[in-house]
Order: sequence, then structure tokens, then C-alpha cells
Amino acid sequence: MDRAREEFEAAGANGVLIGQLTPRHAAHFRRRQDIQLPVLADEKRESYKAAGAKIATMSELLGPKVVAKGTALAARTGLRQGRTLGHPAQLGGAMVITPDGTVAWSHMADNAGDNASPEEILAAVRDAARAVRGTG
Amino acid sequence: MLGAASKRQHTNPPARADALAEIVLLDHDGNEVRLGDFWQSREGPAALVWLRHYG
Repeated sequence: MDRAREEFEAAGANGVLIGQLTPRHAAHFRRRQDIQLPVLADEKRESYKAAGAKIATMSELLGPKVVAKGTALAARTGLRQGRTLGHPAQLGGAMVITPDGTVAWSHMADNAGDNASPEEILAAVRDAARAVRGTG
Repeated sequence: MLGAASKRQHTNPPARADALAEIVLLDHDGNEVRLGDFWQSREGPAALVWLRHYG
């Protein structure tokens, strides 16, 4: 998503990444991945619960379809998973929220390989921005 | 094992972000950030992404 940051800004959106653990881990991650977006630290996973994210079962973490999808993604993007920090079974997700607090779009992962792509998130942001402007 | 759930859970994203708005987290510099500040009183939407982990 950070690689598409300019497109998100052009669509009028504010982007933020939220992870587990401490601000120190967030800063290290941000530096290592050369991310410009803000990265927040949710050690208690309070926002994960409020967003409706779930804890995966073993098969949702390591099932053959999940592994296959992760492998394909790594091959396509060059991204590799490093050491797991935080709750290893906590899944993530994405949400687009309009200024009035409406959740215009969300995708909370159902398994470890079920993540919305930056393109999907950007499309949702553009739809939401159009709706906010009243041109949708 | 790995803290995995024993039974399959369902995601449950809210229709409104009112509860999310009041949550205050620390950013990568250790500053307090209220989540609602990313979309309230703004002209455009906010995109929030929850990472599985920082690895």
C-alpha cells in the first residue's frame, strides 16, 4: 500500500498501517521497509478487535491453499515474510472510512493468504471519495 | 499451537467506525494518535490497514 501512497493521496485519502507490538517495532518495520505512511502500534490489539479481525485456526494459517497463495504472492511481488512478531495467529484486514464515520468498505482476512490488494483498497478509496464529494 | 483458534472464527467488521475513532495508539515515534483523527473533520476517506505482523 505504501508503494501506491501517491495514488491514495491523489484520491484524497489518508492511509495508516496498524501493527501489533510496540512503537519501537513499528519504527523498525517502517525503516526496514522504507515506508512513508504512519505506522501505529497496537500492543493490546484493541483496534483489531474493534475492526472485527479474527484469530486464525491452524489450517487458516498453514493450510495448503494459504501456503500456495502466499508463495505466489511472494513470487509476484518479491516480498518475503520475515520473523513473526506478535500474536502469530492474529489476522489483519483493511477498512475505508468516510469522514462521517461510515465504514464504506472493509476486508478482514479470513485466513493468512486472504488479504486485500493495494489495488482493491485503492478502488474502494476512490469509490468512497466520489461518494463523499457527491459525484458517485 | 501458535495461539491459533481451536474453532473457526468469523470476521465481524462494523458498519460504523465510532468505536474505532476513540482508540488511541502510539505511532512509530511514540506519539499518541487518535484513530478518528484520520477521517473525522477531513475532506476525504481514510484507509486503515491492519498488518498480521511486522515481519
